[in-house]
Amino acid sequence: MASSAVVAHEIRSEGGFLPWLLAPQRRGPLLVAPALIVLFLMNIFPLLWSFGLSFYNYSAKKRDVPDFVGLRFFERVVTDPVVWERFKTTAIIVSSSVLMQLVVGFLLALLFAKQFPLRRILLMLVLTPMMLSLVAVGVFFKLFYEPTFGLVSQAVAMFTGDRYALLGSPTGAIIGVVIADAWMWSPFVMLLVLAGLVSVPKYLYEAAEIDRTSPWRRFQTITFPYIKSLLLLAVLFRTIETFKLFDVVYILTEGGPGTATETIGVYVYRLAFQYFRTSQSAALAYIILFVVIVLTSLYLYAVNRRAQEVD
Amino acid sequence: MKRSWEGWLHGVSLVALAAGSLMLAPGQANAADITITMAAPDWPPTRFMKEEFDRSFKSASGNNITLEMDYIPWPSFYERVAASLTSGEQKYQMIVTDSQWLGSFVDGGYYKDLTEEIKNDPELTAIMKDLHPALVSAYSTYPNKSPQFIKDNPFPAPDTHYYGFPQFPDTYVTFYRKDLFCNETEAKKFQESFNQKLPCTYEDWQDVDWTVYENIGKHFMRKKGDPLGDGVADDDFFGVSFQAGKSYDFSSMQVNAFIWQNGGEIWDETRQPEAQAEGVVNSDINVKAFEQYLNFIQYMPPVAKTGQADIFVIQDLYMQGKTATTIDWVGLGEPVLDPKTSRVHDKSAFGPAPGVRKEDGTIDRTGNIGGQPFVLTTWNSPEVDAAAIEVVKWWLKPETQKKFAANGGQSGLMSVMADPEYDSLRPWNRAHKEMLDWQRDVWHVPEFFELLTQQQEEFDKAITGQITAQEALDSIARFQQQTLEDAGRIE
Amino acid sequence: MTRSREIGRAGWGWTAFAGIIALIYFFPVMWIIMTAFKTRPDALAVPPKFFFTPTLDNFVGVFFRAVISGGGAAQATEFPLYFFNSIFIAGVSCLLALIIGTIAAYGFSRYPLKGNETYMFIILTTRMMPAIVVVIPIFLMFREIGLSGTYAGIIFLYTAFNLPFTIWMVRSFFDELNTEIEDAARMDGATERQLFFGICLPQVKAGLAATFVFGLILTWNEFLFALLLTGVDTRTVPVAMARTLGGEMGVDYGLLAAIVTLFLIPIFFVTFLLQNQLLRGVTFGTVRK
Repeated sequence: MASSAVVAHEIRSEGGFLPWLLAPQRRGPLLVAPALIVLFLMNIFPLLWSFGLSFYNYSAKKRDVPDFVGLRFFERVVTDPVVWERFKTTAIIVSSSVLMQLVVGFLLALLFAKQFPLRRILLMLVLTPMMLSLVAVGVFFKLFYEPTFGLVSQAVAMFTGDRYALLGSPTGAIIGVVIADAWMWSPFVMLLVLAGLVSVPKYLYEAAEIDRTSPWRRFQTITFPYIKSLLLLAVLFRTIETFKLFDVVYILTEGGPGTATETIGVYVYRLAFQYFRTSQSAALAYIILFVVIVLTSLYLYAVNRRAQEVD
Repeated sequence: MKRSWEGWLHGVSLVALAAGSLMLAPGQANAADITITMAAPDWPPTRFMKEEFDRSFKSASGNNITLEMDYIPWPSFYERVAASLTSGEQKYQMIVTDSQWLGSFVDGGYYKDLTEEIKNDPELTAIMKDLHPALVSAYSTYPNKSPQFIKDNPFPAPDTHYYGFPQFPDTYVTFYRKDLFCNETEAKKFQESFNQKLPCTYEDWQDVDWTVYENIGKHFMRKKGDPLGDGVADDDFFGVSFQAGKSYDFSSMQVNAFIWQNGGEIWDETRQPEAQAEGVVNSDINVKAFEQYLNFIQYMPPVAKTGQADIFVIQDLYMQGKTATTIDWVGLGEPVLDPKTSRVHDKSAFGPAPGVRKEDGTIDRTGNIGGQPFVLTTWNSPEVDAAAIEVVKWWLKPETQKKFAANGGQSGLMSVMADPEYDSLRPWNRAHKEMLDWQRDVWHVPEFFELLTQQQEEFDKAITGQITAQEALDSIARFQQQTLEDAGRIE
Repeated sequence: MTRSREIGRAGWGWTAFAGIIALIYFFPVMWIIMTAFKTRPDALAVPPKFFFTPTLDNFVGVFFRAVISGGGAAQATEFPLYFFNSIFIAGVSCLLALIIGTIAAYGFSRYPLKGNETYMFIILTTRMMPAIVVVIPIFLMFREIGLSGTYAGIIFLYTAFNLPFTIWMVRSFFDELNTEIEDAARMDGATERQLFFGICLPQVKAGLAATFVFGLILTWNEFLFALLLTGVDTRTVPVAMARTLGGEMGVDYGLLAAIVTLFLIPIFFVTFLLQNQLLRGVTFGTVRK
């Protein structure tokens, strides 16, 4: 692509290590090297380490030399009914939360797609939940749901006369967690959809105006194609993010009632830091990672399709 | 822009250097200047310890000893301490610990065995002998020895290893609204309904068993607008409450009391490997006891049905005037008396927690001990160990302990508690002393957290009405049997 | 680069409509901010109090703590240090990620490697990993090399966590640039350094700002790593915040709300200032021309 530059550099290069290193053909590797080194040290290396650990019987609590146990922990994790129950809970929470984020985020985006006075300030109000600390969201939603002091319960009591204990049933607790999570992250989806909406060329609408197309039809044929892949992208990105759900659940319900809202994230945390089953938690982490990689591939597939469509 | 980047980078490297040099020079470098860093939960009893240390500690050895507290928020205290210990950073010379963690961290080689030190030091031996046996059992011994064993075998007990000393001994007592319980209208109504006396004085509360407590629950259930005391209830009002929360140990501590008082047992760690879990944990007695516990949920504020009635929620409901009584830790007593946090600060009194009435008419109040010991870590030089021991002796001096008690703490020393003045220092002291004789503790083995979490989950399912008491205890027994067999603790 | 920025204009009527919805959405945050000015009995009042006598006690409580054993002046808390730590750690790590990431993104964009997209995929995967997956081994690694509790450790870690995001976003900005200008400059004998600093970088400045803000939002509230890998001196606000969650009594709602409110201010203003760039940045660098 930059043939003249390459030539210029070759003329300038002489012997020695530094010039060798700075040769044009090594410029790409050289530029990305610092990033890759940091990522390797802080992300990939620890991952390989834990991958190794998952084949040993190791607990961070003890100073014993670990024994090699092969695939035992993978076997234990895969055959552990608790793990699959946690995956199921996670799937339910993730799918309902992401669905809700999509609906709310989409509606908010439609609201803010127009240019109107004070738009910047009102948009900031909607964006704020994203900036809140997870601890605060967990604690205050817990307070909102609390039957005696909580606003939700008192609002319900105005109609029914009885206090309402949302977190008392498994379904209620899931709903409670989903609302808190979706409230926090719908603005994110809104931003994505908004970005799609503003990228629709204006002349398409002008053309539709002339053809007197109905609003619904206009949405279907013009708006939707532009936001379709962004919506898919939002689904996947939020799915991956919600999959990590930990703090809010831990504070809001601590997995209860019973184990109704115990997500896989909470379970790995328990295994790793409460039970100090380091190897078993590493093995489970790898199974989670596998799921995440599958999701990531889907995500990329969506991104590429989007790129092709637009080009 | 570029310049500021350089500034930042410079800052980073400077800080990294500073941090590095700090790590290379721990406090014990200089024999005359010794810093002891203590991991402590962030709350008044440990705050007081530091304040009092700075005020009154004088080293007998002439060394310049400083006590540095690393205050860690309670909710993440365990995780943070566990991470620090297992990461090998060797940052702490002393640690405030929940008694149940002893097994994990003694096994890991982090908590120092002090048996020899105590034996060789008459002053420490005297302290050990003066400590309440229930506290020595729960806070100090691992493998655990029962309170009875400690009582029968004063220090040094055969075959026993000692690790910790009481930082804050805690028991649960009854908090009650004296304006309601000593109200004539209420007393008359209670007498009519149940043909019993509504307890008002401390002596009355000494005679309250679970049957009376249940009647109290029934009696004080009021809807908004109903008469209450000499006025009307400004909001729905509830009779009783005790801990029924899913987090940490916020139901087990109370369920265990019901089990023990009824003559049931939990898995007995002092009788390894013969003691079983299956058949013991889910015995008929235990099921009955747990059903008795569950029966009270209906007289509690609605949050109990969500399994979130933890020790703080019931305290709040009591402080905001929503319940007539609660059974909660003495350690949570101070805010109840503080007008800034409590609406009932001038209307509260304290009595012993209820229990099961036995055939001879006496009441069994066996309870699960709370509070925390503090321990020494294993990686310190002899000078630091000596300094830490000085801190222990200072803390357990009668003068220090009395000041502690006057500021909302509790002493573990029997000689201090025997002082007639002690009862009047704080309004719950008399109840605490009475309860202390009844204390036992849950397991101390390294598998503690797994056993606890699973048990809390199952209790929570029963509390929220998803399963029966029998189902919960069956599942707990099965899990404990399996886990403890895997760990080689049951044969 | 000109494209329609909106699909329609609307007047004050729409403002009123959007205002109502935005206020409903904002209500929980507003309640938290109100709680910061309430006494505990007011915060837990039944029925809830919308009008009350505000108190500054909670804000005072953030910075000063009463002495337990009576008498004497209140002690200062470590909160200013934690606040500084949060700003320092998040700021430095996001800047570092921006520098390293921008250089790498330039490489991926202008000098593609063999298997360029595979590298990009692997980088993305590390971003998608739940923190819990890596916290265990990082924890063990820090234990071995003595990085626990240091600024360097947590900054380095956050840098790595912001990198994938930065690389992906900034690369898409570079890809979007018109290469004709660069080619022309090359013909005029510009060095690579001049091309990068003089031509490419100025054009993506807005994008870099958005990337920075986004990294900041993600880093600002991080809890798990901060809890386990920071020490007394390097603790950040989200970890310290937990001290309001229980001790002698349950959640100190007023104090927590005061900390949350104070902690919200810097990030709110940075976001407000860079709002327009953020809108573009959020699409993770995937929305192209």
